[in-house]
Amino acid sequence: MGKVAAKLKVMPKSPDVDLDALQERLEASLPEGAHIKGTQRDDVAFGLVALFPTVTVPDDAGGTEAVEEAFAGVEDVESVQVEEVGRI
Amino acid sequence: MAGRICPDCNVAPEPVDHVPDHRGNGIHTDDPENDGFAGLVGGRTYPDCPLPGVSAGPMLRGLRSIRATGQDPCERHARPARPADSWDSHPLYRNLLTHVGVTFSAHSATRGVTSTMSDKPHQNLAVIGHVDHGKSTMVGRLLFETGSVPEHVIEQYREEAEEKGKGGFEFAYVMDNLAEERERGVTIDIAHQEFDTDEYYFTIVDCPGHRDFVKNMITGASQADNAVLVVAADDGVQPQTQEHVFLAKTLGIDELIIAVNKMDLVDYQESRYDETVEEVKQLLKQVRFDTEDASFIPTSAFEGDNVSEESDNTPWYDGVTLLEALNGLPEPQPPTDAPLRLPIQDVYTISGIGTVPVGRIETGIMKPGNDVSFQPSDVGGEVKTVEMHHEEVDQAGPGDNVGFNVRGVGKDDIRRGDVCGSADDPPTVAETFQAQVVVMQHPSVITAGYTPVFHAHTAQVACTIESIDKKLDPSSGEVAEENPDFIQSGDAAVVTVRPQKPLSIEPSSEIPELGSFAIRDMGQTIAAGKVLGVDER
Repeated sequence: MGKVAAKLKVMPKSPDVDLDALQERLEASLPEGAHIKGTQRDDVAFGLVALFPTVTVPDDAGGTEAVEEAFAGVEDVESVQVEEVGRI
Repeated sequence: MAGRICPDCNVAPEPVDHVPDHRGNGIHTDDPENDGFAGLVGGRTYPDCPLPGVSAGPMLRGLRSIRATGQDPCERHARPARPADSWDSHPLYRNLLTHVGVTFSAHSATRGVTSTMSDKPHQNLAVIGHVDHGKSTMVGRLLFETGSVPEHVIEQYREEAEEKGKGGFEFAYVMDNLAEERERGVTIDIAHQEFDTDEYYFTIVDCPGHRDFVKNMITGASQADNAVLVVAADDGVQPQTQEHVFLAKTLGIDELIIAVNKMDLVDYQESRYDETVEEVKQLLKQVRFDTEDASFIPTSAFEGDNVSEESDNTPWYDGVTLLEALNGLPEPQPPTDAPLRLPIQDVYTISGIGTVPVGRIETGIMKPGNDVSFQPSDVGGEVKTVEMHHEEVDQAGPGDNVGFNVRGVGKDDIRRGDVCGSADDPPTVAETFQAQVVVMQHPSVITAGYTPVFHAHTAQVACTIESIDKKLDPSSGEVAEENPDFIQSGDAAVVTVRPQKPLSIEPSSEIPELGSFAIRDMGQTIAAGKVLGVDER
């Protein structure tokens, strides 16, 4: 079926969260078969910075759900949302 | 930017002007400012990079300042960061343009000259249709005919395909290979297939095949503005054709261009074309697409008939070519005139500021001084400040990710899933709502009383399907059965839904951005739908 790339928006719990460390924790939390292919950052507002990791997952059952759940369970993550999906 | 090293191949880039890479394929570039015309405006090569392939800078419009992080690879291994350029970006196909150093203009026969792509209005174009009806070949053909992939790249793969005994499938083969190359890269840009016509600059939206991604397409940031539906003349309307058409409508696409493809396989017979057109019209009626807004074109993506040039093989057809049809699409209008709707993603308490809700504006405009209402939490106040990219702004519109604060609203007063709207036209809260749904996958049957989780904008709420009002006949589009006992996979139906907790949702005829949902259960997306009408609380 090929692979799908999904760009997720990960919001930290507060403006004070160390984003480099958070990025490493996200990487470590990835479920099997998923890979991070680059992470962007975007200034949002009032000191909040969103992380946008692009994750590849197989184009089969489950979609991005496993990655969303894994990221949501990472320390200092406030929320996880899929912004874009597309086939590679 | 000098002195940077590609982390994959440990090669430093060299600035160049317009030079093909070591494989003759194009240009490496790492200049995010060059807007896609790497070869012309200071791209750079990595002459010793051992990996095949090349890159072009992203063709971007409306740039926003997203910082790329991490190392700085040569592309083949990475592209410059693409801004989260709103939902003017969404799900897409495989990368041809990373193989293109220069982008050429569509009909103008000005190959080698910088196109004025960035001056043109942008469209996100979904290419949809049943598997094996020729979507990839059509995308490859469009990119080729618009000069978005150079002939020598096609030629290279054509030779490779023939060596492997796959001759005759150049475009599909090229797409597959480029996909594999992209996957090996360090970074991936989702919006990567782009071409332009005389009127527009298009990004192709490549929807993942699996149904579990439908939720992302409904709640995600990017949406296709228009779609090309590919239907093979030798195969007609198939289950996935039906599903994709329904999803296109649910996702708010109003204009469809239908390519009746593979005409070469039916000897360009007008009768086969007419039959296919008739089948598709029936399908469009079922999902309430206005067939007057749909244009039908007999094509062969494989042979190139009626894609950019009128074909001699279809003398009985006097309509437009595919590129002409794309050129003739209406320009997408951002929903700035609609009432403000901003689904809340998160709510923060920031010291010195107070409560800060964060989210993406779907419709309308937000300005400091506006009176706003959060529903269903039913609180409101006056917007004090709006920030975007850490800067205070006078106003923000559709697609903008903002944080703001509102006088008199505390952190515990509002929550994720609320929708912020103007106080004089507040978001609608449903007691019940009527919706048209299509069941994509369900192990058994769905009956009244079924209570799965509905995903709409940032809300996830358990909702009971209170009654199944009508089942629609896929072949005729007519009501097949009133008040059926059950519906199952493949069925389209009109149902009445009762949220188990308050939910803000809008009729899709009024605010389509807030009028669609995905239904999930058992870890799967089982259905998608759009709201026909809301019975307000």
